[in-house]
Amino acid sequence: MPADRPPFEDIYREFLGRIYAYVRAQVTSSADAEDITAQVFMNAYQAYPRFETRNTTPAAWLFRIARNATLDHFRAHSRRERLQRTVEHQPMDEHDPAGMAEERIRYQALLSHVARLPERQRDAISLRHSGLSFEEVGVLMKCSEDAAKMLYHRALKVLRESVREEMA
Amino acid sequence: MSDEEDLETKALQRQLDDAFQTTRPRRGFEDELWSKIQARRPWWHTAGAFFAAIVGGVRRVPPAPAAAVALLLVLVLGIGLLGSLGHRGGAGGAATSLSQGVQRGGQYNPVAGDFGRLPAPFLLAGSGVNDAVPPKEVSIAPRQTGANTLYFGPANLVWAGQLNVAVSTAPVYRFQAPSTDDANNFATSIGAAAQPGQADLSILGSYSSPDFTLTVAYGTRVPNREPFYFLTPTANGSAPGSTAPDIAGAYLSTHRLTPIWPSSVVVDQSGSRVQLLRQFEVAGVGPVFLVDGVGDRYGLDVHVNGNDVVQVAGPMPLSAPSAGYRIISAGQAVQSALASPPSGVDRITPTPTVMLTSAELVYALVWAGDHSFYEPAYLFSGTFSYNGTTYTKRVLVPAVDPSQLSS
Repeated sequence: MPADRPPFEDIYREFLGRIYAYVRAQVTSSADAEDITAQVFMNAYQAYPRFETRNTTPAAWLFRIARNATLDHFRAHSRRERLQRTVEHQPMDEHDPAGMAEERIRYQALLSHVARLPERQRDAISLRHSGLSFEEVGVLMKCSEDAAKMLYHRALKVLRESVREEMA
Repeated sequence: MSDEEDLETKALQRQLDDAFQTTRPRRGFEDELWSKIQARRPWWHTAGAFFAAIVGGVRRVPPAPAAAVALLLVLVLGIGLLGSLGHRGGAGGAATSLSQGVQRGGQYNPVAGDFGRLPAPFLLAGSGVNDAVPPKEVSIAPRQTGANTLYFGPANLVWAGQLNVAVSTAPVYRFQAPSTDDANNFATSIGAAAQPGQADLSILGSYSSPDFTLTVAYGTRVPNREPFYFLTPTANGSAPGSTAPDIAGAYLSTHRLTPIWPSSVVVDQSGSRVQLLRQFEVAGVGPVFLVDGVGDRYGLDVHVNGNDVVQVAGPMPLSAPSAGYRIISAGQAVQSALASPPSGVDRITPTPTVMLTSAELVYALVWAGDHSFYEPAYLFSGTFSYNGTTYTKRVLVPAVDPSQLSS
């Protein structure tokens, strides 16, 4: 293993939570998020021997894989099916206070607003708040850094309105 | 954009940061997935199983090795090294407020409560650094820790032990969440420099030296852990010594990572994982262990393979001033323990009756946003059997007087 490349497990342990959070903000259920996250790291594991730290950061590399896996997921599931899943999504049992607390901790409500944004806006918000720079977001979304910033701020405005409406 | 809208946007951004930082997979997912990934390894990779087992054994413990292992180390190294960035490095480390208060016999204001009302410590199943692989497809959610299976669900509790605590006050420690500059200073103090081109905002910093790489990460609320670092030797990982603790100690000393806080050194059964379990000195009581979110003791971890250190993980050194708080009596602690609600969602039916047979004063980390506390607490423990398996039930009761708690 090249000296500049850490063991895959280090990468895995360091980024699993962030990748999961990114994916979770895109999909309607934690089960889907787990499936996609698992696929991301399976793919990453297979591709790791070819990963070059000179060309990209582990974060940018992994988020690219995550983004592709999420897009694949959406392609594989029709809009109708996704809506159906959303409708069927059961809220946490009210008699499960610990679970409810966890749910609150995870800011599910806010992330559900993010999940309802148009695809590119959702992506910009998710990537940015997963810790990527605007430059990295731009590279992943195939646009300039400035365009990524604009997209992000536009998404933020839409999200703010969405949250406002619910609170009103 | 109006000022109000600007403020609203900033608040939303902050919430998003928190949401993405705290959204994590369910307990056990990380290790389950890692097992699947490992199962896909080509057979020739298993030749390295010995090494992997060494590191894996260490890392299995933490839900995130970086997080878990690092957490342990951080704690050890932590509070002393950076210390208000008065890090002196080495065994002599910074004489931080923490060390002054704790190690020198508790020279703290006995009842001041200078930090105001405190958030209460609690056990949260799955939040500890010592997460292990949970059994699959079980109707309850036990957690394995060493030889024990932990149970956090409902139970009928009976006290059958003895608890004597002869003091009425104990110090509480508070530390601020570190900045990138703090992390940089820490890295510099041990001879590491920032890695160029780093753009990973989820960590405080990534560094390297000719001998090792270093990552310093933020503390998190879930799982509950301090800002931590983990250091991986890339060369010259060897250190003199005939035993794993000797080798670990020599490496820490050479790299100016020896923690200044009191600790008790333990070695796991494999002999490859050396833990410096962190302690806090409480006047009138003696050294008190720090426990994680499941009640396991932790501190700084050093993983050794032969004469080589393969990883060091522990708390980032931070200044932690102390303040004295009144604590409840042993009797009050017992009453609180027996009335405690379950801390986890596991459930065994019928509800088991558990004899709590031991209790001790401990310290627990309590996350409070841009700062955190180390607070005294009473940890009760007892075992029971169910379907041929012995479970351990733990209950954590805040030791700080309820009048000084915010929740």
